[in-house]
Amino acid sequence: MTRKRKRLSIIGVGAAFLIAATALTFYALGQKASYFFMPADLQTATLQPGQRIRLGGLVEKGSIVRGQGTQVSFGVTDHEKSVKVTYNGILPDLFREDQGVITEGSFGPDGVFIADSVLAKHDENYMPKEVAEGLKAKGVWQEN
Amino acid sequence: MVFWFIAALLTLAASLAVLMPLAGRSKNDSSGGAHDLEVYRDQLAELDRDAARGLIQPTDAEQARAEIARRIIRLGSDDKQQRIFTSSVSVARSLGVAAVLAVPLISWGLYSILGSPDIPSQPLRERLAQNPADSSVDELIARAEAHLAGNPQDGRGWDVLAPVYLRIGRYDQAVTAYRNAIRLQGSTADREAGLGEAITDAADGMVSAEAQQAFERALRLEKDQPKSRFYLATALVQDGKIQEAASAWEAMLASLPADSPWRSPTEAALAETQKRMTGAPVAKAAPGPSKQDMEAAASMSPEDRKAMIETMVAKLDEKLRQNPHDVEGWQRLLRSYLVLGKNDEAHAALKRGIEALGATTEDGKKFAEFAATLGLSATE
Amino acid sequence: MVEIGHFALVLAFALSLVQSLVPLFGARSGNERLMAVGGPVAVTGFGLTALSFLALASAYLQSDFSVVNVWENSHSLQPMLYKFTGTWGNHEGSMLLWVLILTFFGALVAAFGANLPATLRANVLAVQGWIGAAFFLFILTTSNPFTRLIPAPIEGRDLNPVLQDVGLAIHPPLLYLGYVGFSVCFSFAVAALIDGKIDAAWARWVRPWTLAAWVFLTGGIAMGSYWAYYELGWGGFWFWDPVENASFMPWLAGTALLHSAIVMEKRSALKIWTLLLAILTFSLSLLGTFLVRSGVLTSVHAFATDPSRGIFILCILTLFIGGSLALFALRAGSLTAGGIFQPISREGSLVLNNLFLTTAAATVLIGTLYPLLLEATTGDKISVGAPFFNLTFGALMVPVLLLIPFGPLLAWKRGDIFAAAQRLMVAFGGALLAVLVTVLFIDKAAVFTALGIGIAVWLVLGALTDLALKSGIGNVPLKTAISRFVGLPGSVFGTAIAHLGLGLTLLGIVSAVSFESERILTMHPGDTTEVAGRVVRFDGLHPFQGPNFTEDRGRFVLVGPDGKDKLEVISSKRFYPARRMPTTEAGIKTMGFSQLYVSLGDEQTDGAVVVRMWWKPLVTLIWLGGLVMMVGGTVSLTDRRLRVGAPARRSARPADKARPVTT
Repeated sequence: MTRKRKRLSIIGVGAAFLIAATALTFYALGQKASYFFMPADLQTATLQPGQRIRLGGLVEKGSIVRGQGTQVSFGVTDHEKSVKVTYNGILPDLFREDQGVITEGSFGPDGVFIADSVLAKHDENYMPKEVAEGLKAKGVWQEN
Repeated sequence: MVFWFIAALLTLAASLAVLMPLAGRSKNDSSGGAHDLEVYRDQLAELDRDAARGLIQPTDAEQARAEIARRIIRLGSDDKQQRIFTSSVSVARSLGVAAVLAVPLISWGLYSILGSPDIPSQPLRERLAQNPADSSVDELIARAEAHLAGNPQDGRGWDVLAPVYLRIGRYDQAVTAYRNAIRLQGSTADREAGLGEAITDAADGMVSAEAQQAFERALRLEKDQPKSRFYLATALVQDGKIQEAASAWEAMLASLPADSPWRSPTEAALAETQKRMTGAPVAKAAPGPSKQDMEAAASMSPEDRKAMIETMVAKLDEKLRQNPHDVEGWQRLLRSYLVLGKNDEAHAALKRGIEALGATTEDGKKFAEFAATLGLSATE
Repeated sequence: MVEIGHFALVLAFALSLVQSLVPLFGARSGNERLMAVGGPVAVTGFGLTALSFLALASAYLQSDFSVVNVWENSHSLQPMLYKFTGTWGNHEGSMLLWVLILTFFGALVAAFGANLPATLRANVLAVQGWIGAAFFLFILTTSNPFTRLIPAPIEGRDLNPVLQDVGLAIHPPLLYLGYVGFSVCFSFAVAALIDGKIDAAWARWVRPWTLAAWVFLTGGIAMGSYWAYYELGWGGFWFWDPVENASFMPWLAGTALLHSAIVMEKRSALKIWTLLLAILTFSLSLLGTFLVRSGVLTSVHAFATDPSRGIFILCILTLFIGGSLALFALRAGSLTAGGIFQPISREGSLVLNNLFLTTAAATVLIGTLYPLLLEATTGDKISVGAPFFNLTFGALMVPVLLLIPFGPLLAWKRGDIFAAAQRLMVAFGGALLAVLVTVLFIDKAAVFTALGIGIAVWLVLGALTDLALKSGIGNVPLKTAISRFVGLPGSVFGTAIAHLGLGLTLLGIVSAVSFESERILTMHPGDTTEVAGRVVRFDGLHPFQGPNFTEDRGRFVLVGPDGKDKLEVISSKRFYPARRMPTTEAGIKTMGFSQLYVSLGDEQTDGAVVVRMWWKPLVTLIWLGGLVMMVGGTVSLTDRRLRVGAPARRSARPADKARPVTT
């Protein structure tokens, strides 16, 4: 092999590698990214059964029900629509009524959202950004 | 003054840092080529060392040596090509002067916009050490807190601080303070009742089981402790046991001394309860103080409380003028005026009520009988 | 004192302006006096910034609530330690720490750079001056920690309770030492571009700086991960959260830089690429700062954010990244290319390492920024989380990890892959054994886990093989081997130790993720439960009064097989009244390299408590591995060869150096 051909082949291998890495990245973005919804958005969205999404909103007042053992259910609302969420585990410290939360999981066959993670940030003023914007857009929440 | 002095000193130091090198003698620095050569020499030495230790094969070492040598040769030719800048001395000098001047100008200019040179530092300890008479309530509390943080076993401190917390609305801290006072100084009726009140206030007026226990402990220590009796009766109302609450309050009124500060809140609460009892079917719509109002009344000063009750009574009066066929309303009004000590108004109300209801009607008779039980007669 | 700090900060800004212009002009015009200004100004600037920082710290220590920043982030009852760490536990104070470290490094360059070519030194200091000026201006205009409040409140609002922790005392300073350390590499790169030539001393200078910054950044990331692990109470050690990614990207790029700088130093090859990497690494650090501070991304652990600051940092970002890359595009062509090498060689393996690491950094960048991009273009909101990163990053890392042991065994210029493979047979055998043992004896279905453990063992044994081969164990008499081993250069030890640390971290991750046992249940006092064969009893909640918090302490007891109490684990729920904020303090007990992790949930009406319990086998190896990597970096730093050759006027010293101790 001449030096030039060798160099070309190295560049070729490098380019192939980069293309493969890019393809993998975008494949993964398509497959593994989860969409964010507010309860009212769900009316228009089409979800595959079992598709993982993030559901955000406010914890509905008076909706927190502690069930058997560590089971908890609560409503997530954007003051338009409300979705029932069940979760098995320890809720974050700042999980409170009327506070913003983001839950991640998927809808069960009965239309109840089964969350496997519940996020509430550790800042007393915390309103998750997505939730804040969604609520502002609907005119139900204002920053003070 | 000290500040300006230090600021000036710092500015001087900073300006000198710029000025000194400018004024200093020009050093004869070696060119970049000499530096590079030194690095290459070091690399050669390293190579020898590695080779001696057997870290690299002798052939590899030979190759590497040749390469470093090549770089040294290249270095010589690069050196000759180095660009030579011509610098104007006057430009450099004016830049130097500008730089030296810029330091004080920028710093003092910017600081005059941003800074607040006239505000001294205010370390908390110094502020707390000043004369207590000059301190605000908040400062006094802070001082007590600082003391207790250092001496958490000082029961008297907690005892003093607890009611203060309660009064200024820091209920959670009041709960802690009362608990500590009880733990360290022992249980007394006042402390237990205070604890109960703090727990209740912290829970927005709901008398929880925990608060009830505190009140009950207080009553065990002092049988007729009015605060505890009052709140326990409130708890009965919150449990929906209106009847029992009313009788508790009635019993309490009977035993309270005439000048007790608890008299008027108790009477107000009793009036409210009776209203709820009698107006049971329309309980929700019954006008009068809400639970919040009641609780507000309980935590008000006596004057405020009285004013509030008077407004409520005036409202009731107005309502009866528009809708006079309300026997329970009249009864409430009558009782309220008596509670407020307004005997004339009470008489007037009795007269108006009987006129409105009709002296011979069922309701009219009932009202007159009710008035008689309070010691009033329509014929007077 | 407070106002003196404020004034010193303004003065430091003025000096940074001088530093950014005068030496640069001096270097362009060959005026040595102007060039010489850089040094004293950099040192004085550092002194003033340090004074400013001390003033803020003393305001914190004395609870001077007439300073807004202190009032917002401190409380008079806080323990002294947290009063002090509160200085940087907030946006303004942490930015001050940032510039303090920046000016510190600038002063170090000024102090130890006497043996650098004068123009290079002047240019480096000028570039440092630009960065400093930009950030001083940022602090003074948008995040001034010295803003006053009159009348002063009597009590502060308390430091965010999750930040009242020893981990936080160490984490940000380490992280900043890392981030900002890369600024020196950046300055060297830009200075070389300004000059249009790369001095031989360049690579020798950049490598120790990169190493030092990398050591700190490694420590900062490991510390941050451990902090999140025990303080957030979720039992997770890495969340692929934007803030974590922000620190991880410069680490990946910095690791690549570390390796390419070796090639550049030894072989004068990859010059242009190394330059670019130096620019990119610091750019990613800046980007990280921007992401964390601006609030453009939702993160579980971020400071309070303010959009106006975001715009300012975005401007700094555009200016520095755009400017340096433009300069690079203009000048890169004029730089001379370096030595040549075969694809299979030490250089080749390092290029491969660079290719994978930078690609990995790019995927993390894409995963972090893609949600922003998508929202800006289509309005769809998505979140890219662990599944994405595990797939892409994992796929890219596996080949790198497999290839690592080969690298140090290949010769420069032209290597022999088969010979290297042969020498690694023992390590390969060990790895295979680990895979088989895992599959056969622990879990038959856990093929991927077994492979992960195999790779970890491969890394550890590979690193040891390297050391053994270089000291000649097995080939030469033992005595010679030992003396050779002792005499091995620091960089060889450093390489082996760092690679070994990576293997340990991998082992910890694989083991903790695959073999952890988790229990979520409600427990009454006196209840026992079992997690991974260990019996744990709950003894009830007991109130406790802390200095500025109250807590309910749950006492858990690990019961031994003989029924006796063995260990006590305290897990608590705290309440900080000043911020009205609850926190969870996980109870963690380390046994060997494994940990029992107990987290408390809500108390239920009947007195029972929700408890979440994990048994995490070998989990501490994750952070111990990080520590070992740091040790590796430090050992490498002590290598005398990393010291820069001095010019002729100190000719005595290099001559000494040329005589090694071993001869």
